[in-house]
Amino acid sequence: MAIDRSSSAGVRLVRHEGIDRIYHWIMAVAVLALLATGLLPKLGVGFPWVTIHWVAGVVLAVLVVYHIVRGLAWSRLRLMLPGWRDAVDGVREFASLFSRIAAPKTGKYAPAQKVYHWGVAVVILALVVTGCFMLAKLDTPFWQRNPYFLDSSTWGIVYVIHGYAAMILVTLLIMHIYFAVRPEKWWMTRSMLRGWITRQEHLAHFDGARWPAEEVAASAPSEKTTQQHSTA
Amino acid sequence: MELVRVSTNAWGQSEVLGAAWDPFWVFVAAGAAFVVVHALAMAIKQARTSRTA
Repeated sequence: MAIDRSSSAGVRLVRHEGIDRIYHWIMAVAVLALLATGLLPKLGVGFPWVTIHWVAGVVLAVLVVYHIVRGLAWSRLRLMLPGWRDAVDGVREFASLFSRIAAPKTGKYAPAQKVYHWGVAVVILALVVTGCFMLAKLDTPFWQRNPYFLDSSTWGIVYVIHGYAAMILVTLLIMHIYFAVRPEKWWMTRSMLRGWITRQEHLAHFDGARWPAEEVAASAPSEKTTQQHSTA
Repeated sequence: MELVRVSTNAWGQSEVLGAAWDPFWVFVAAGAAFVVVHALAMAIKQARTSRTA
């Protein structure tokens, strides 16, 4: 089906750049691998999980560092920082669930998404920091174990933080997957797979002044076909 | 339900070993409860919207 570029509906706008989508999906695989290898043995499913767990943990730590650097260096942090308008929008968004009040148009990220992001950030940072300490208890090709790196009572605190952060992450993951598969959110899930949203979706959900999304540079094949037909 | 795992060390002192795993199902239930409540709220909202449309 050819896209009609004369109407705004056919125009595609960039929501997630390719590098951000790659980051998101590698992180998803790492987190799922970490939760499976970390929690299944505690639930009685036995398998050699330690190597997969620490390697996935190191991958996650590298991704977190990359994400922080990219957020700071490319001035993308401001898109995720909460402001006073988010508080107002958040109340309206919540009220829209239970009343006829329309959901507000937001910046690139809705207030609930910002709250979720910062919640996940705290939990993942807690996991990564405590996980880095726990690497000292493992023999790997790169270092030898040193279980006396911390005293035993401090190890207890490290393990408590790591365990509870993992369990909180399970709750957050259930919520995240639930929103990703809800039919009215598929356009957003598609944007994490393919990178773009339509102009119509932008107009329906976002405040253009707060997030003026850019058009996708490369035309879709169907658009090229339309252009070829029109010039023939 | 215990929140942490505790053992006794060589000197007879109690020592925290780590998180207990019994609360795991509480966190799963919390996620499931959120999903159910939100799905219900959305279903009620859609029913109300389609009635008025």
